[in-house]
Amino acid sequence: MDAAYIRNFAIIAHIDHGKSTLADRLLELTGSLTAREMQAQVLDAMDLERERGITIKAHAVRMAYPAHDGKIYQLNLIDTPGHVDFSYEVSRSLASCEGALLVVDASQGVEAQTLANAYLAINHRLEIIPVINKIDLPSADIPRVKEMIEGAVGLDASDACLISAKTGQGVPDVLEVIVRRIPPPKGSPQRHLQALIFDSWFDPYRGVVVLARVFEGTLKKGQKIRLWSNGRVFQVETIGVLTPKPVEIEELVAGEVGFLIANIKNVADTKIGDTITDDERPAIEPLPGFEEIKPMVFAGLYTVDAHEHTQLREALEKLRLNDSSFFFEPESSVALGFGFRCGFLGLLHMEIIQERLEREYNLELITTAPGVRYKITLTDGSLIEVDNPSRWPDQSEIAKVEEPVILAVILTNEEFVGGILKLVEEKRGKQKSFEYVSGSRVMLQYELPLNEIVLDFYDRLKSVSRGYASLDYHLAGYWESPMVKLDILVAGDPVDALSLIVHRDFAYERGRALVSKMRELIPRQMFEVAIQAAVGAKIISRETVAAIRKNVLAKCYGGDITRKRKLLEKQKEGKRRMKRIGRVDIPQEAFLAVLKVGENSS
Amino acid sequence: MGMPLGLYLSVPFCRTKCTYCNFASDVFSRAVFDRYLDRVCADIHTTPESAGQMGARLERDADSVYLGGGTPTILDSHQLERLFVTVRQNFRLVPETEITVECAPGTLTPAVVETLLRCGVNRVSLGVQSFVDREAASVGRLHKRETVLDDIVRLRGAGISNINVDLIAGLPHQTAESWKESLESVIALGVPHVSVYMLEVDEDSRLGRELIAGGTKYHAHFVPDEELTAELYERACEQLNCAGITQYEISNFARGGFESRHNLKYWTREPYVGFGVDAHSMLKSASEEFAAVRFATADALEAYVAGASVQRTEVSRQAALEETFFLGLRLTRGVDLEQVRSEFGTGVVTALGAVLVDLASFGLIDWEGDWVRLTSRGRLVSNEVFERFLASGADAVMR
Repeated sequence: MDAAYIRNFAIIAHIDHGKSTLADRLLELTGSLTAREMQAQVLDAMDLERERGITIKAHAVRMAYPAHDGKIYQLNLIDTPGHVDFSYEVSRSLASCEGALLVVDASQGVEAQTLANAYLAINHRLEIIPVINKIDLPSADIPRVKEMIEGAVGLDASDACLISAKTGQGVPDVLEVIVRRIPPPKGSPQRHLQALIFDSWFDPYRGVVVLARVFEGTLKKGQKIRLWSNGRVFQVETIGVLTPKPVEIEELVAGEVGFLIANIKNVADTKIGDTITDDERPAIEPLPGFEEIKPMVFAGLYTVDAHEHTQLREALEKLRLNDSSFFFEPESSVALGFGFRCGFLGLLHMEIIQERLEREYNLELITTAPGVRYKITLTDGSLIEVDNPSRWPDQSEIAKVEEPVILAVILTNEEFVGGILKLVEEKRGKQKSFEYVSGSRVMLQYELPLNEIVLDFYDRLKSVSRGYASLDYHLAGYWESPMVKLDILVAGDPVDALSLIVHRDFAYERGRALVSKMRELIPRQMFEVAIQAAVGAKIISRETVAAIRKNVLAKCYGGDITRKRKLLEKQKEGKRRMKRIGRVDIPQEAFLAVLKVGENSS
Repeated sequence: MGMPLGLYLSVPFCRTKCTYCNFASDVFSRAVFDRYLDRVCADIHTTPESAGQMGARLERDADSVYLGGGTPTILDSHQLERLFVTVRQNFRLVPETEITVECAPGTLTPAVVETLLRCGVNRVSLGVQSFVDREAASVGRLHKRETVLDDIVRLRGAGISNINVDLIAGLPHQTAESWKESLESVIALGVPHVSVYMLEVDEDSRLGRELIAGGTKYHAHFVPDEELTAELYERACEQLNCAGITQYEISNFARGGFESRHNLKYWTREPYVGFGVDAHSMLKSASEEFAAVRFATADALEAYVAGASVQRTEVSRQAALEETFFLGLRLTRGVDLEQVRSEFGTGVVTALGAVLVDLASFGLIDWEGDWVRLTSRGRLVSNEVFERFLASGADAVMR
């Protein structure tokens, strides 16, 4: 294929702005799928993706488009995940393209996620085509949305495509604009091979499937390839493209996008962003931009039923086959028994993993409060990294704690700014900018400790803005902060699974909120139970659960002992489902309470 | 020769249904009564066959008959006599058999009392619940305090002085003062037996459901809280004990020698057979495979009359051991570990040592020599104690 007739592009959009619907429409128009084969939103194939309306995995679909100039073009649509948790994956997908469609909802306008990904695309010097979608809605306000695209993103929106992906109106023009405005890829099939891995997954029958964009050279069947980051060599068995059905071909040349299968067993070998080169004629250098993915959010995962621990391990191993960005190692908790410390790219990633474990593997889980990884300088000068409260050093050994900080971009309407400012201040935010991007639309940029985001920031933001605020963020470095470990003691015993790392100034308030929540959740026991919050040896809050006053079955109707036994068995089963700490039975919900602790403080 | 049986006859008919009632009783038309009795009498006749099918041993001797309800005195004299005649045709009632009939105050006309005497009834249990009229009325009782006093005079006049009075702690509108009034009344009456129940809050009664839902029907919002109900119960234990009506079971108090023989069978795991709707039986096993067998009739009247099959539950050796504790500990005298050893083996008591030590450390049981009994606090939270004797899986101390 002559590279002049290839166009590689991505679609960037905020959730629900119509990315997948537009993709489906493009597939339909280019005849890649007949209308009968269309299942709404073909590309979001995972159940979870369809339900949540999000894209978790990247995809790449090749379409053949006969343009008005009489030539047939090869269009490669690279569908990217849209969520902030996956911004590195997004950046690698964008790096595989020359252009992008920026889809904006005609009534909603530009949202934070649109913006973050648009900036990414601009940084990758992509040709960006604004597409205003849902113009058929009565609430569509095209001039305002154009103004926002120009004000917030800084793009000329005067010749934006105006479409309704739902009805198909205006979509054919999008194809023409893609051909006309997005530049063809550069690169030569004769040079040394450089191909970028932008996604990979494990197929139980074929091993790892790699999605790649060839920048230089040619990728052929039978070729021996080498992966740059780890030096591993594999022989290519199959080369193909998705149309979206997989179709095998002989080779992929510079500028093209497709998949390869090379008897690779472990998805961790095929790191996103890595460069594939020829083993015998390697390139001199890798493609730029490769990073090892590092988990940002950490939590302990435990099964409600201790006997399911092995099943949890097996499920985690299986999930990791397909998702090398998620990490786990065994940990044990006095309160919860044996479980795993897991690292995730972000909160959504954590939720997805949790949900898949519960749904696909039928496990009932307890998750400890999510936290972040701190850099701690000890008094002896050594530096450690801690993501698990149970490994937090004694306060006397700590010289300095640094916590990860993010730069958050929040887009909202001016009426909600007051509430949002209060929230970000409460969350220890530092304002970086405050600007009107159009009319009453405001963009706030704040530096915020990641630790404050992982607990309940999304929910709080949603409630103060009644849903009219969007958030995006990326890691922006570290701050030195006086962080302390907050322990919860039940009947004098610390419950490790309830420990939290908090800012010293918040310890009292958090402790009090958590203690009062625990008092509601811990049922009365045979004796009075003290619930305390402590920092180090200092008790900062205390409440008491009174002892059970009565639990007695009086009447014996005509000698019905079976009923009495059933009631006792039910009672015993209820206790079995609780976790026993010392002499106190604690219900599962108590461990979830720690996740919601911030709600009381507002 | 085995132990004589207890016989229970269920009469699930009432003039009105009380709001706290979680039993299968209800208001039915009189037309149903005879059909029901036909079925009950047929069952009494075929008891040996049924016991055989259940794999149980059946004695012919009985030393207690208990006619419960419901309101058995809603039956006419002919119907009552028919029941007792059928029982006597099929079982040998030993001399001085305890024959109890539950009565709603106000139903004991001279004619009814006359019938009871003819049937050999020598003990009457009165469902008084409260001597404060407003409290009794609020849960649907039809009698007044005066009615109860009249009934007792009439019974004693007829020679029935073995009388029980039921009281409930936790009725709507009840206060510490009003409860005192009920307790003083029952003591002043000089009856030899008193049962004190605490209101049960569950999904099986209208009042219970309303309480769970937090509503105001059935005076639910006037029901005393758990704390007060517990106090009322404690007050009852104290005052009745002081008055010589000694607590012998969690809910039962009696002057010496007047303990209910029938109810004791339930707690001491002696055999009994129940007839009628939602009637429960426990008989010793005819084989070595299990210790005993429990079986129950259908709990809906129509199903029972239509001949629905009984629910059978085998009591394994392990289950029998558990019952020994969760039933036996209800008695003030407690459980005799020596007897447990002789029935279930020495190892069993050793294996339960940790549980006993734990419960004693919480002040829930007294453990003296070979006797284990609930403390007064243990009685109030007895379900928490009993639960500990149920084995789950690996905890089982015996096969």
